[in-house]
Amino acid sequence: MILLAQVLAIAGLAPLVQGVMKRLRANLQGRPGPSPLQPYRDLAKLANKEVLLPNGVSPIPLIAPGIALGVAVTFAALLPIVVPNALGSIVDIIALVFLLGLGRFVLTLAALDSRSAFAGMAASREMTFGSLVEPALLLALLGGAVVGKGTHLWSVMDVPFGLAGTLAFAAFFLVLLAETARVPIDNQETHYELTMIHEGLVLEYSGWQLAMLQLAGFIRQLCFFVLASMLLPGGAEGWRHLPWVLAIICMVPAVETLFAKLRLFEVPQLFATALILAATSIGLRVFGVLV
Amino acid sequence: MLHDIGDPVAAGPEPAQAKLALIRSAGVAATCAVAALAAAVAMAGFARGAIVPVATIQGSVAALTLTAAITPLSAPFCALLAILAVAVALWCARRGAAQDPLLIAAFTAAMLLVLIARSVALFLFAWEAMSLISAFLVAAHHERRGVRRATFTYLVVAQSGALCVLVALTLLAVAAGGTSFDAIAAHAPLLSPAVRDTVFVFALLGFGSKAGLIPLHFWLPRAHPVAPPSASAMLSGAMLKVALFGLLVVTLELAAPGAPWWGIVLVGLGTLSAIGGVLYALVDHDLKRLLAYHSVENVGIIVIGIGVALAARSGGNSVLAGLALLAALFHTINHGLFKALLFLGAGAVNDAEGTVDLERLGGLWGQLVWTAPLFLIGCAAIVGLPPFNGFASEWLTFQSLIGGMVGNGLTMTVAFVAAIAGLALTGGLAAACFVKVFGMVFLGGSRRPSARAAVRERPDASTIGMGLLAALCILFGVVPALAVVPLAAVVGETLHVPARIPPALPALPLTVALLPLAGALFCVMLAGRRGVRSVPTWTCGSPVTPAAQYTATAFSKPLRTIFAFVLFPDRQRRYEVGSSPWFPSLISYRTRSRYIVDEAARGFAAAVLRFARGSRLVQSGSLRLYVAYAVAALIVTVALAR
Repeated sequence: MILLAQVLAIAGLAPLVQGVMKRLRANLQGRPGPSPLQPYRDLAKLANKEVLLPNGVSPIPLIAPGIALGVAVTFAALLPIVVPNALGSIVDIIALVFLLGLGRFVLTLAALDSRSAFAGMAASREMTFGSLVEPALLLALLGGAVVGKGTHLWSVMDVPFGLAGTLAFAAFFLVLLAETARVPIDNQETHYELTMIHEGLVLEYSGWQLAMLQLAGFIRQLCFFVLASMLLPGGAEGWRHLPWVLAIICMVPAVETLFAKLRLFEVPQLFATALILAATSIGLRVFGVLV
Repeated sequence: MLHDIGDPVAAGPEPAQAKLALIRSAGVAATCAVAALAAAVAMAGFARGAIVPVATIQGSVAALTLTAAITPLSAPFCALLAILAVAVALWCARRGAAQDPLLIAAFTAAMLLVLIARSVALFLFAWEAMSLISAFLVAAHHERRGVRRATFTYLVVAQSGALCVLVALTLLAVAAGGTSFDAIAAHAPLLSPAVRDTVFVFALLGFGSKAGLIPLHFWLPRAHPVAPPSASAMLSGAMLKVALFGLLVVTLELAAPGAPWWGIVLVGLGTLSAIGGVLYALVDHDLKRLLAYHSVENVGIIVIGIGVALAARSGGNSVLAGLALLAALFHTINHGLFKALLFLGAGAVNDAEGTVDLERLGGLWGQLVWTAPLFLIGCAAIVGLPPFNGFASEWLTFQSLIGGMVGNGLTMTVAFVAAIAGLALTGGLAAACFVKVFGMVFLGGSRRPSARAAVRERPDASTIGMGLLAALCILFGVVPALAVVPLAAVVGETLHVPARIPPALPALPLTVALLPLAGALFCVMLAGRRGVRSVPTWTCGSPVTPAAQYTATAFSKPLRTIFAFVLFPDRQRRYEVGSSPWFPSLISYRTRSRYIVDEAARGFAAAVLRFARGSRLVQSGSLRLYVAYAVAALIVTVALAR
């Protein structure tokens, strides 16, 4: 029951979060920007439109949006907002990394099936960055496992914050920018296919399938924000961390405004930085220095 | 380095055909018989939970006594051997050369003999038989020069490795004063550390080279592309595992307990193999060689598990040792299943298209209607996607690494954290690689020259063979308890402490995958109700051509550039300019990676040859000189004896 409420709340609020961030970013850049409710209208409009798929594709592009949405909803149900979380006691941090991999695998296969060079290019980049970001993603979340709290998702909250926590959050924030297709790595608002990563991946999608993919993206984004908030101080109860989500919602558009998109081959250095930060944080925790 | 295999079966006259069919049936039957034997051995090993003596043949010399017995540790390996032999026999019933199944049967029997050998003489005899029969399998198309070279490389590595195994086992036998494994194991606690460490180093060299651990892996990507698919499936699925079995027997039983650094060395080598294997696989576009590199990667993952088990055992943490060994054994079984499936799938692709070059394949989903979904299951399993079997065993490996991360000293912490990061990177890169493989071979449009028509695949015995492996990949993925519970019993018998299965594991894969599966079903239902319209792909208004599709080279380009410090890619671009410099008539692009380990191996071989040539100075071939040597030796001996 709690899980259902949690999933419904996250799924219901996720488009709003996207709308608010879009508005914030526009305002920071001196533009009026669309209404924060615009993502709901877009979803409603797309949900009623028919689906077009490229000629002669396999069933993979047909089912990929459903798998992506399923992955996002599972992620939402896992979040340790109320501890202990029934699903989270089975699915831990490692399984979460594999779960996110499942969504990525299916979407990139669907993109390659579409025969479009743009989609192929986006698939290649998505898999490149997706694989490079994985070590940092895992290590940033292992702070609790280091001090013997196990690998449950709620173990990340139950550790002293300190310098190690700051480093882990910094590493996770860099990962989050990549996973939510944000500016130094990707640009959600580009209209130029050659620079697209995530948008290029879903270039061939339309109608209710696109609505599912967009909703999945919004949910995944909010889940990453909530998970990032768990890394900030607030004690062992998940809901106490939720105010931090607002701070992250403001931080991301600020980063997107302050920084330019990195060149493609400079992005790996960002991920290497994240990996070093996360590994240092683990090292500090293992040896109990400066925690 | 492209080895084209082509159609092996040449049409002959009628009686010859009948004879070939007879040879094929006999081979398939023999393979199935060996598989049944292996299954019986596995049953006995699982059921008894103790050493079951099979036979002892007293030799004329005590050292030549041949002893065979079934140990609990050999049971999972025998079970894997039985499953793979059945699947490959089914495959051979319809495809490949007629003599393949007979060789496969002999090869399987030799591997079974290695697994039940309990004395030095029998182990070495079976080991040699396994190496030599597999060399025949690799040399199936010996009329090609590349095949002969690959076979030679394989034989050199196999024989050097066998020599190392011989040294390791002889050292143990001499120290124990007996050649039966029971005597050696009984004497193991009394070994001096120097002997123990020497034995470990030689065992690592011998078994590691056979298993394909970096830096002794270089025979693997040469032998696999030239061997028939059925042989590759057995080599990669079973023989590499037999080598790991040898490593386990020596480190856990014959020379146990090991020093703590054994485990750390294995974790380090395993991580190196995992990352190196997947990186070379990423830049390779020969499907079979790419799969061979993935074997290097997966052997690395298994060896990480073995290393954690050894490190934890020498540190006295038996719970962690049990978990790590469980992970290693489970991944051993899983890798055998999905790698054999992928190799057989690659064989089906080769039979249909006559090539396994990713740049020339494409759009086979609509043509190989049976192989394609089965191959997709293999891809999902090797990448470790839930709910397939690779996920459960990789999850266990991560758990054991995380469990051993803290409280065991600085070296172990550094090694384990590096292994966690390396394993995560490996997982991501493997996913990228198999997206490339499946996307390029089965999805998109066909890259075939338009002259050849597509033939729709019909199911036959070979499809059943692949289907069996795919079904087990799903079964062990969805219900990991089916494999993990017997394996935990084996681990308990081997380490003499009950192994604990993580309580989350049995329900984990389905819990992770339930909602994504439901989402997929929802899409299918909604599409059924509301309909989906097919339209041409959006290509900015230009015509949709297969040539415009992203290629495998292009797909792996970013990773090739990012990992240039390991892969040393070099590219050649050539423009042929026609009437106008702005519209070249032909652009060709080639890219190649440098293989540093292979170059080092070649350098080593050249140095050995130089030394041999230098030593020819004393070997003039003149009889008088040899008589002079003999006289000189005699004088020196007499002088020394006085």
